[in-house]
This record gives sequence, C-alpha cells and structure tokens, in this order.
Amino acid sequence: MQDGTLTARPFVRAARTPLLLVALALTILCAIAFGSVHVPLGDVLRALWHGLNGTPLSGTDVIVWQIRLPRVVMGLLVGASLAVCGGAYQGVFRNPLADPYLIGVASGAALGATVSIVAEWPRALVPVFAMIGAFLSVLVTLALAREGRRFPPNRLILAGVVVGSIASAASSFLILRGEDRARQVLAYTLGDLSFSGWRDILTVLPYAVIGAATLMLLARALNTLALGDLTARSLGVPVERLRLIIVIAASLATAAAVSYVGIIGFVGLIVPHVVRRLWSADHRVLLPVSAVAGATLLVLADLVARTTFLSQVGIVTTLIGGPFFLSLLRRGSRL
Amino acid sequence: MRTILTTLALLGASSALAATYPLTLKDDLGRTVTVKAEPARIVSLLPSTTETLCAIGACSKLVAVDDYSDYPQQVTKLPKVGGLYNPNLEGIIAQRPDLVIVSKYGKLAEPLTQAGLTVVAVNPETYDEVFSKTLTLGRLVNRETPAKNLVTQMRRDIARIEILTRSVPKVSTYVEIDPTPYSIGPNSFIGVVLSKAGGANIIPASLGDFPKIDPELVVKANPQLMLGLDLKTAAARPGWAGLRAVRAGKVMDIPKDLNTILGRPGPRLPQALAGLARILHPELFRK
Repeated sequence: MQDGTLTARPFVRAARTPLLLVALALTILCAIAFGSVHVPLGDVLRALWHGLNGTPLSGTDVIVWQIRLPRVVMGLLVGASLAVCGGAYQGVFRNPLADPYLIGVASGAALGATVSIVAEWPRALVPVFAMIGAFLSVLVTLALAREGRRFPPNRLILAGVVVGSIASAASSFLILRGEDRARQVLAYTLGDLSFSGWRDILTVLPYAVIGAATLMLLARALNTLALGDLTARSLGVPVERLRLIIVIAASLATAAAVSYVGIIGFVGLIVPHVVRRLWSADHRVLLPVSAVAGATLLVLADLVARTTFLSQVGIVTTLIGGPFFLSLLRRGSRL
Repeated sequence: MRTILTTLALLGASSALAATYPLTLKDDLGRTVTVKAEPARIVSLLPSTTETLCAIGACSKLVAVDDYSDYPQQVTKLPKVGGLYNPNLEGIIAQRPDLVIVSKYGKLAEPLTQAGLTVVAVNPETYDEVFSKTLTLGRLVNRETPAKNLVTQMRRDIARIEILTRSVPKVSTYVEIDPTPYSIGPNSFIGVVLSKAGGANIIPASLGDFPKIDPELVVKANPQLMLGLDLKTAAARPGWAGLRAVRAGKVMDIPKDLNTILGRPGPRLPQALAGLARILHPELFRK
C-alpha cells in the first residue's frame, strides 16, 4: 500500500488536522453569518441564542435559525456522507475513480426522483423513489461489471457510466414529456440545499449515521481488501460478503443524501483523494478525516452557491471537481 | 360606445392601404426574411402568436398550429404539429404553408427554410413586445389596421384597470413559478402585469427576470401575498410558517385559466391583468 503521508511536506503533516478543524469551524461560522440577506453579526448570535433557549423566533431570527442553520447542518451531513461513501467505494473496488457519481448510483437516484417529480407524487415520496433508483442502478452496475467474483476497475467504471447514461437518458425523456416540471428536475439534478429544514435533517440523519458508522467500523476490513482479494481471503476475510455489506451501506448513505438535496457531484471523488495524499490511505484515518473534509467542502460550496450567481451547490462542486478529476487523470494517480 | 369603436375600426380597416408585398423584415432571430405575397396558409408555432393572429382577423388563414395553441376555440380543430421540443417537421411541411411563424427558441427556422418555406420568428416576451409584435404580425399578414386597433383597445382596457389599482396601496407579493424556488423579476412579462395589477414584487430587478432565489429573501421581505403555491406547501417550508401571508392564509395557486394567459404575452393581456388585479385587490371588484 502506498503511503500517502510521504508526499506531504513536514509542516503540512504536523498541522494538517488542526488546520482542517479550524477550516471546518471557520466555514460553519461564515456559512451561518453570511447569506443572500445581510444579517448583522449581533443578530446572528442573538438568533442562535433565541433558538437554543426557546424564545419565540421573529424577523431575522427565522432566517438564521430556521433557514441558514439547517442548511449548514444538512450540508455537513451530506458532505460527510458523500465523502465517506466515496472513500469506501474507492477502497472496496480498489479504484480511485469510484465515487457515487461515477458508478451510476447518483444518476439512478436522480431517475427515481425524476419519476416521482414528473408524476407529481407527493414530495415526501421523492426520497423513497430516489433510494429505489439508487439501489437498482448499483445492482445493475455490479451485475454488468462482475467478472466471476471480481469487479475489475475498468469494467466497473464502464458499467457505471453506461448505467448512469441510460438513467440520465430516461430522466431527460421524462423531463421533456413533463415540460412544466423541467426546472424542478433540473434543480434536483444540479444539487440544491435550498429547502433543507430540521425535519429533513432528522430524516437523513439515521441513514447517514448508520451508513457512515458501518463503513468506519469496517475500516480495518477495507484495509485488508486493499491487499488484494487473494491475500485478504487468506487472512480469513469473507471478501464477497464484506464487499456486499460495504456497497449496501455506502449506497444507503448516498441515496439518503441524494434524495433530499439532489445530485452533488465530485465531493465523493475529490475529498478521499486529498485526504489520502495529505493524511493516510489507512481507512481508519481516511474515512473519518474524509467525513470532516467533505462536510467542510460542501458547506463552503453551498455558501458560494447562495451568495453568488452560481446559485446551486452542485454547480460549484462540479466546477471545482471536474478540473480536479482531469488533473488526476493526467497525473495517472493511483490508489 | 363599443359599437361606435368597432364601426370606426372597420371603417379604418377598409380605408387603409393594403400592405405592399414583397415585404422584407428582420425577424427575432436576426434573419432578413422576405414574404412574397399576402400569406394564405399560415402555420403558427406559438400559442400567443396564434391568439394574436385570430384577434386581428387572420384566424381563417391558419392551417396548423403547435400542440399548445388552444385559444380561440376554432384553432383546436386544426392539425397539431408538435411543440418546441418535439416539432413535427414533416407535418408542418405537409401543410404546404406559405408562412410559418416560429419561436426564436427551438431550431425550426433553419430546416424549414431549407425545405423552401418562408419562416419568420416572432417572439413576444416582454410587456412592451406584446404590442410591438402584434403590429409586426399585422404587417406580416396584411392586417395592419386591425392590429393597430387591437393594440389601442388593449391599452385602453389596461388603463381602465390601472386607474383602479393606482387608487389603493400596493400589496407586497411573492410569485413562485417553480417550487425549487424560481420567481419572477419586476421586468419580466408577469412582473410588469403584477405591478400594474397593484402588486409590489418582493424580488429586486437586479436578480434578473426568472431568478432562482434563496428562501431567505422571502423571509426577509415577508410578503402580504404569495402566488403560485398552496398554503400547505408554504407553511411546511423551513422558516416560512410565521410569514404574514402564511398566517393570514393569503397563499394561493394561480387558477389554471389565469396561469395560462399569464404565460401568453398576447391579446388576452388585459384579461390576465384583470384576473391578477382581482386576486390582489378583491375590494376593488366587489359590486
């Protein structure tokens, strides 16, 4: 296993974790303090205090406590989930390109969501259909990519891209059929945290926590998978079952995240890569650090989205992630 | 009064000089188009254009319309040749039209021109364009005087409502055109109609005509009225339950008929305005 820490400079190595935590704290503060409506810092603090001690909220209190804060918390939750899942997918498939976006899970979720949006089923059902879509697409991707008992990286990506494309084509067809809903579907497929409320957070939370916790508990097992199936098996690891559990846990957390905020690309791809480079490829470090870094990145991206003309968080992450992905390809970076 | 006006209009029409063909003009795609003679077989691919053509007495010249043209009643019997995203090129050509009026969106102009048809893009979008494009259509189909009369009549009907709504305080209003949420700027077609109906749009012009907005803005503006969504939806949104409009129950979907004409910058603009004014200021229309 390549040791990612070797590439980091000594200073960065020593200060990386405190720096990340400082970045997280600053990002959260800024995200609560700034937005498209100007709220003076004093009012922000007062609003937070009112929310905590149960004072009835009024005026800008509502903006801070009911809109901005849940938006930040949802961003943290989704960013952490996507990054952890990305790290786990990359580990389980031994493929640096595997992330929820590229193996077709996200597009499958989008198709499920599109079906329910275009059909005008109740909004509460959108997440359910997103989850069904996500699971179906991951099953199809795995079935297509399977070569005996293995999932070779190139086959997996090919299958993922094809499944993703088919799901996208089906979504596009539905969008064109239901022109009135087109904008809604578009907003969904570009990722959006606009209407995240406390109730949505409570709905996503259990899936995200169960998914992420399962993956973190399996971190050691993920490390053994990195040694290759043969070695792992000789160490007594039930490779196939383990892989299935990890894929299910990661898809669960991804689908939960995706179902509420839409498709937010590239967080699951970029974050684990950076963490692997600056920290370690050991999943016991990789997954928790990715969670913190992913949370930071997404909240920051959403802050950019809602205060600039870029307007949607998925656009911001893709604009950052796309070039990053290309540079990875160029450098031929490996796991 | 009406009869006199109509008579005057008819007199005007009969005494007006016929348009001179060939007629050359620059259309909304920036192309220079020549219409050789007065069109007798017209295909209209925009509902607002269809309505205008009928309103200026050219309805009988229509031989086919797009899927969404449904007014006036008589056009519903015409063959349908698709929509913006799924135009039926062959169906259009099969009608052997001597004029096809298209939207500037979609990509119909080029293939239809190559097929030897005369294609003009006429695309009313803003409030002012409703009038200028009506006149353009009038010139195109040799109904210039009826077009001018229609514009005069529309402006008169609008002025009548505006005089009413100017006498009462403006109602601060949030209009949602899509739940993600998209709203409308004051300079958009609906935005201008809203303001004439006695509403104060909470969306600043700087955000553009159809901006995706941050829900914070709505909370900050705390409008008196919300249109385009239902009360339940509004109340369920984070932080919106305590807003003035929600507490007063002044949240409502725009009725379907009104919504349709609000989306059509055409001759039914005064009706759209009246409909919106009734919602904003019911007190003005109680009789």
